[in-house]
Amino acid sequence: MDTVFLGESLLPGKLGQFFVVLSFGTALLSTISYYFATNKDRPDDSWKKIARVAFSLNFLAVIGIGASLFYIIYNHLFEYHYAWAHSSKSLPVYYIISSFWEGQEGSFWLWTFWQSVLGLVLVFRAKIWESPVMTVLMLSQTFLASMLLGVEILGIRVGSSPFILLREAMQAPIFSRPDYLSLIDDGNGLNPLLQNYWMVIHPPTLFMGFAAMIVPFAFGIAGLWEKKYTEWIKAALPWALFAVMVLGAGIIMGSFWAYEALNFGGFWAWDPVENASLIPWLTLIAAVHVMLAFKKSGQAYFTSLFLVLISFILVLYASFLTRSGILGESSVHSFTDLGMFWQLFAYIAGFIVLALAMIIARWKALPFSKKEEETYSREFWLFVGSVMLTLACLQVLATTSIPVFNKIFGTEIAPPTQVVQHYNKWQLPFALVIAFISGFSQFLKYKKTETKKFYQQLIKSLAIAAILTAFAGYLTGIYSNPMFMLLTLTSLFSIVANADILYQAIKGKWKLAGSALAHIGFGFLLIGAMVAAATSKVVSVNSSGIGFGDEFAKSNNPRENIILYLNEPVKMDPYTVTYLGDSTSGPNTYYRVNYQVIDEKSGKIKESFDLYPNAQQNVKMRQIIASPDTRHYALKDIYTHVSSVPLKEEEKHEAHEGHSDEEDFGKPKVYQISLGDTIQIRDAVIVVKSVNRDAKVQNIPLKKGDVAVSLGLEIKDERKIYSAEPVFLIKGGNTYDFGKTVDDLGLKLRFTNILPQQNKLELTVFQKPKAEKKWIVMKAIMFPYINLFWGGAILMTIGFLLSIFRRNKELKTA
Amino acid sequence: MKKSALLGIIVIAVAIGVIVSTYADSSTYGNFTDAQKSDAELHVVGKLDLNKAIVYNPIQDANYFSFYVKDNQGKECKVVFNGTKPQDFEKSEQIVLVGKMVEGEFQASKILMKCPSKYNKDQVEVKTATSVQS
Repeated sequence: MDTVFLGESLLPGKLGQFFVVLSFGTALLSTISYYFATNKDRPDDSWKKIARVAFSLNFLAVIGIGASLFYIIYNHLFEYHYAWAHSSKSLPVYYIISSFWEGQEGSFWLWTFWQSVLGLVLVFRAKIWESPVMTVLMLSQTFLASMLLGVEILGIRVGSSPFILLREAMQAPIFSRPDYLSLIDDGNGLNPLLQNYWMVIHPPTLFMGFAAMIVPFAFGIAGLWEKKYTEWIKAALPWALFAVMVLGAGIIMGSFWAYEALNFGGFWAWDPVENASLIPWLTLIAAVHVMLAFKKSGQAYFTSLFLVLISFILVLYASFLTRSGILGESSVHSFTDLGMFWQLFAYIAGFIVLALAMIIARWKALPFSKKEEETYSREFWLFVGSVMLTLACLQVLATTSIPVFNKIFGTEIAPPTQVVQHYNKWQLPFALVIAFISGFSQFLKYKKTETKKFYQQLIKSLAIAAILTAFAGYLTGIYSNPMFMLLTLTSLFSIVANADILYQAIKGKWKLAGSALAHIGFGFLLIGAMVAAATSKVVSVNSSGIGFGDEFAKSNNPRENIILYLNEPVKMDPYTVTYLGDSTSGPNTYYRVNYQVIDEKSGKIKESFDLYPNAQQNVKMRQIIASPDTRHYALKDIYTHVSSVPLKEEEKHEAHEGHSDEEDFGKPKVYQISLGDTIQIRDAVIVVKSVNRDAKVQNIPLKKGDVAVSLGLEIKDERKIYSAEPVFLIKGGNTYDFGKTVDDLGLKLRFTNILPQQNKLELTVFQKPKAEKKWIVMKAIMFPYINLFWGGAILMTIGFLLSIFRRNKELKTA
Repeated sequence: MKKSALLGIIVIAVAIGVIVSTYADSSTYGNFTDAQKSDAELHVVGKLDLNKAIVYNPIQDANYFSFYVKDNQGKECKVVFNGTKPQDFEKSEQIVLVGKMVEGEFQASKILMKCPSKYNKDQVEVKTATSVQS
């Protein structure tokens, strides 16, 4: 039992586990102390002092967990399961950082870390709000800390510790050996798809966004708790903007990573994991707008409160979806299930109960507005816009939650088969309504607007937008689709209307710049996403229709992959594409693919560039993991990935059972021949030299009446002459034939029939396709105007940043 | 009519629309027997049969991939996918196919795989030189 294991370094794990327990304890203590500090349990500040000390210790503990885990991964201490499962010795430092958060535990840590950092800012900046806001934040911190505990309490496993040892996590005979560690050479390594620079920065940004969502929620709760029903909105606004900005940036980075590193061929797939991060973002965006409406007009109080609270609950729901294993087969890239279903459920349930209880307790005192908003007022349309955003969110939520409904109601509904079309059908109309509202509400004032001036501005902007739309429709070729045109019109209208505001901002009203810029960015993002998705074109359409795929040429599915042989140019309109060889760097093989645009008349090369899509080969598993390479232009992208490549060090193919060796050959060709005939095949000539009427077949004695005929064939290629003698046999009334192969030429020759009436013999020739040549199968897609999407996202982020400064300044001056 | 009431009605109408559409567009999980009876695309959950031929020969046709899957009721069917072989295919524990039956073959338009990804596998790889003894 008490084996002494050699070479293990247990200190960092022990230390790490100590910090894990410390972080849980201090988070809990801090929550309780802040609670009593809020309720002014004692006249002095003693509870607050305890709470702050506990918070500081918690912060240190969180840093300690991170440092221990990083030490373990960085030093390749494979006695720890986490290091073994997520990293390997060959990883460069920046990917060691990404392997840190490849697993659930690491990403939970990231979340607690950001929550601590935000907590620190709040301790210094929140002033009177500190105690109630920090109570809520530290409650969330307590839940998160429990996710990393990895201890058993009353027989129930709570959390999953990143410091568990490999020999504890797994059962294998080698772990009974004291020197087992010397046998473990390397870790499993980081999933190659995550070995991308965006994976270094995307998860921290996304989790910072998730973590930041707690702050507006905490302010909402604090407002109810402290009966400061309206004051919290002003204080929470910069935080809500911050969360929206960071989460938005995180989502876009994820989208860019998918586009740059995955080969599903696009930037957004409506995958449940993507949706899970989008859902809370949409509600918080809506919340920001109604919070503004309330701030200026006193309207939409409850909507603001509701949206702020639900946003964080949806963050928890998102993490539940991706971590509990409930998405199962409906998503490709959720985390592996760690058996924390109920713990994650408790986290959501706890916060739902908290929010509901606070609302119910204070319901009668909530400042509902009695009067109706004016139709021509900004607050009304801010409200309507937020409702639209919420409805758009509801649609995403409903479809993404299908696996949850199945679990609750015991149903077995499958997600839509045409997922992308299903979402687009709804999101496109929502987007165009939202874009339209985000344009014209800029011409409305709070409270009441002069209608004549409003319509003048509206019509002017619409007219400009209409002209631009006609131009854009012609340029992008989307004019045949009325919905696309409408979305372009409303998005351009929003851009024009907000550009007007931006112009005024530049002239001096600087504080308007943030929102104008964010809306302009949003408009470009919509147009970019729609145009790139709607007009993306597969360049590598396989038009040759060779092989046994003929039956498929009939079906609607386009043939989107194409085979390229080394140095054999293939025309793919408008490019001439040539595979020029490969090179290996580390685990990756880069395939050099040259694209040329050749002027048809003069034959001159107008444009030439190389792309290097890569693939990691795993010889043992006989599979590849491919990553695309993309040529970026200002107005379009050419995206290329290999879909299949010959596996390296492939052993010589042997015919095995259940697998006819003729599968390796192409379609056979049948010839009717006589003595002396020549047959031209690819790269060689076959000459029928002789017909031998009493051939012998080894091990088969011939009886009377049996006939065995062989063909003496001579096969000549440029260098050499080969001979082969296939046999045709009639035995006991049945016919057999014994083919011969010429391996050098990839030929199989079968003497398949005698045709006495025509006085001909039938020769069937199987020839291997040009396998000796190197090849790749690739797919290329053109994405027009995709830079509008990325550019729009960047503008939007800058816009948010400016707005944060503005609202933060208002907070100080007030 | 008050604006808020009007807005409320619109919201409820859209919400109902969303739910109806989610349900209407949703597909069903079935098996190959169901697929034979139906013209619509559906989801079939099953396991890859590794003993039967998995054919992807890009030299002949880069867009033809065929394999055999046993559905949850144990019925086996040839599946044809008009594209390339997905990564990690052989390792999949479970396969979800989206598609329909055409002339006795299941034509998949989408293949989803549940993989015990290499990076989470529960097997320890030991140095080959020393692993023989125990």
